[in-house]
Amino acid sequence: MRPRRYGSPAELTAWIYGNGAGMQSYGDEPRPLAALSLPSRIVIGVAACAVAVIVAIHLAMMFLHVAPQNTLSKQQGALISDYVYPEYEQNWKLFAPNPLQQNVAVQVRAEVRAEDGNGRTTGWTDLTARDGRAILHNPLPSHTEQNQLRRGWELFLNSHNAQGRPIGTRGELAERYIRRIVMFRMQGEWTAGGGRVERIQVRSRTAAVSPPPWSTEKISDKPVYRVQPWWQVTTADLPEGANSQ
Amino acid sequence: MTSPMPQQPQNTSQPSHTTEPTDVPQQAHAPHDPQAPAATPAPYEETRIERAVGRLFGRATGRALAPYQTAVIRIGFSATWLLFLLREWPHRLTLYGPDSPWSLDMARRLLDANHAFSMLLWSDGRGWFECVYLMAVASSAALLLGWRTRTMSVLFMLGVISLQNRSVFIGDGGDNVIHLMSMYLVLTRCGQVWSLDARRAKRARTAAEASAAEVSAAGGEASEQAQTAVRTPGAGRGRDLTGIVLWAVLGLALAVAQLTGSYALLWFDNGPFPHIGWSLVLWGLWVAHGLWWAVQRYAPGEPRTVLDTLTKLAHNGALLVIMVEVCLVYSTAGWYKIQGSRWQDGTAVYYPMHLDYFSPWPALSQLLGSNGLMVMLITYGTVIVQVAFPFTLFNRRLKNVLLVIMICEHLSIAFLLGLPFFSLAMIAADAVFLPTNFLTWLSTRVSGLRERLFPRTLAAGPDGGPGGGEPPARTEHGGGGHTLVG
Repeated sequence: MRPRRYGSPAELTAWIYGNGAGMQSYGDEPRPLAALSLPSRIVIGVAACAVAVIVAIHLAMMFLHVAPQNTLSKQQGALISDYVYPEYEQNWKLFAPNPLQQNVAVQVRAEVRAEDGNGRTTGWTDLTARDGRAILHNPLPSHTEQNQLRRGWELFLNSHNAQGRPIGTRGELAERYIRRIVMFRMQGEWTAGGGRVERIQVRSRTAAVSPPPWSTEKISDKPVYRVQPWWQVTTADLPEGANSQ
Repeated sequence: MTSPMPQQPQNTSQPSHTTEPTDVPQQAHAPHDPQAPAATPAPYEETRIERAVGRLFGRATGRALAPYQTAVIRIGFSATWLLFLLREWPHRLTLYGPDSPWSLDMARRLLDANHAFSMLLWSDGRGWFECVYLMAVASSAALLLGWRTRTMSVLFMLGVISLQNRSVFIGDGGDNVIHLMSMYLVLTRCGQVWSLDARRAKRARTAAEASAAEVSAAGGEASEQAQTAVRTPGAGRGRDLTGIVLWAVLGLALAVAQLTGSYALLWFDNGPFPHIGWSLVLWGLWVAHGLWWAVQRYAPGEPRTVLDTLTKLAHNGALLVIMVEVCLVYSTAGWYKIQGSRWQDGTAVYYPMHLDYFSPWPALSQLLGSNGLMVMLITYGTVIVQVAFPFTLFNRRLKNVLLVIMICEHLSIAFLLGLPFFSLAMIAADAVFLPTNFLTWLSTRVSGLRERLFPRTLAAGPDGGPGGGEPPARTEHGGGGHTLVG
């Protein structure tokens, strides 16, 4: 695998500037940069410096954004996030520092008011289990099954404080997002016998993945439930077109 | 030996290779060069730093580096996104359209705060959504084939970021990679080989050379003129009606969007760079494409060389960013893993395989997870490979071994964890480091296979390769294209 050597200067020039028979789809002329006029060379020189500076700044920003918090990124936090967000946002903590070791299932139930005015409460439905069934033996799982509820619930947890209160606009949006995901998936089922959904309740069931068979670790296999308060369902939570009901 | 291009960073370990191109800037500035304007009587000794800067400058402006690698990532990312869009076709309305639980109003509230770009916010109608989705599908397909690569890369980027920013919370790491790379690809000349563009350019050149050969056969004196005709870009290229139509239609569409005050079309705010808005970027690209066409056609001398050099600079800069970005992905992934207790005790790989969302084949996961030693080896191996990867770029052989390992690991992730599109995107990103030898070999094999499957008539033979891009290694080996004709 030795690199090819260039015999003649012409060959070298052809290599550098394209020989017209090469791969450059836009064609290249064998015109060395030194043969250009001064203004042209200035333009190219300035452009080269600009590209070098832009690339350096961009890479520094990307690095500071993905690296762990450090002296510089703490000092220049605002500058970095101004540059990075929204289009260069990225996160490469793939299964790191530790992979998730719990199965988090989102379960829902509803209070349905029938047409005759009687209310009834449905049983719990495990939406995550339904996602799991859709993914089982599926070589191409859809984002609707693999990401929608999973990441929606992550968003919900991240945008709510320990008391379950929403933090800012994001928290409020996340809550509405969960309500809408639930209603989009369950409304038809719940109101199949008529009536309308008045309130819904969401809970998460967190169960640790049992440790590997060779491990001596002891982990409680009791699931932990986190129950959210009942949420009133408004028309804004319903799929479009369902408002007419 | 078939790699005359110093496109791989590991080439820095081969001094004999890197010194060659350096001769050029030196030569160009050498005092005895009659064309050097600042010719001084005494020969000027360059310092080492000056030489290094000159070498770097010569490399960055000399040519658009890594034509095969940029082509392969173009194909990789556009194919991943295209397959994803087709797979999600039945769910498109739920993911990005009017049936999404993340309603357009909610998306608006979020994007008003973070100023991300999305064309989907321009109109609430289902028709507009379908248009954008179809545009995303079509531009991915066109970019994959390398049809009007420069234009399609812009449309591809707009499709990717419009859809993804509309529903940020349904994406994963794979979407994230495609998001970033779609933006970087706009600045690369990713259609130099393996593209319909390359085939069209080659046909035009062959036609021009053929006519030149005819002329030179007729009279020796005219041959020089004919050779210049070959080099003249307008020759044999026509005025490119398709390009003009495409350019005009897209300009018109952008003008309509701009004049109706569409979301995110600002000049100096909320763009991809500080103080550069999306309007400036899109109009800038539009003007640049027009200028390139005009210069090709009417000013083929110095203005064209200057513009050409500027695009090479942009290409090489973006290529560097892409390569470093891939390294950042792996090094930070490894960096964080090293801190995790599960990656330290050698059980980390066991857990994702036992999560409901990532176990499409539970029996297989159980089987693989039952062998403690194997899990530990894979766990440690993953960390080692990810941490080591950026450093192995300085050693060609080691880098190639690691590439193979990483691609294999991503293939198994695709299947075992049910993450095919994430894995495809990561493999496409890895591909920027594939060796040119391998890529040209692959190209030859694919052409051979194609010739065997679909034999062509002899007339169409010479440019019958896939996408028509002849590997430069082969053409140069033959002593240059024009000698074959002449």
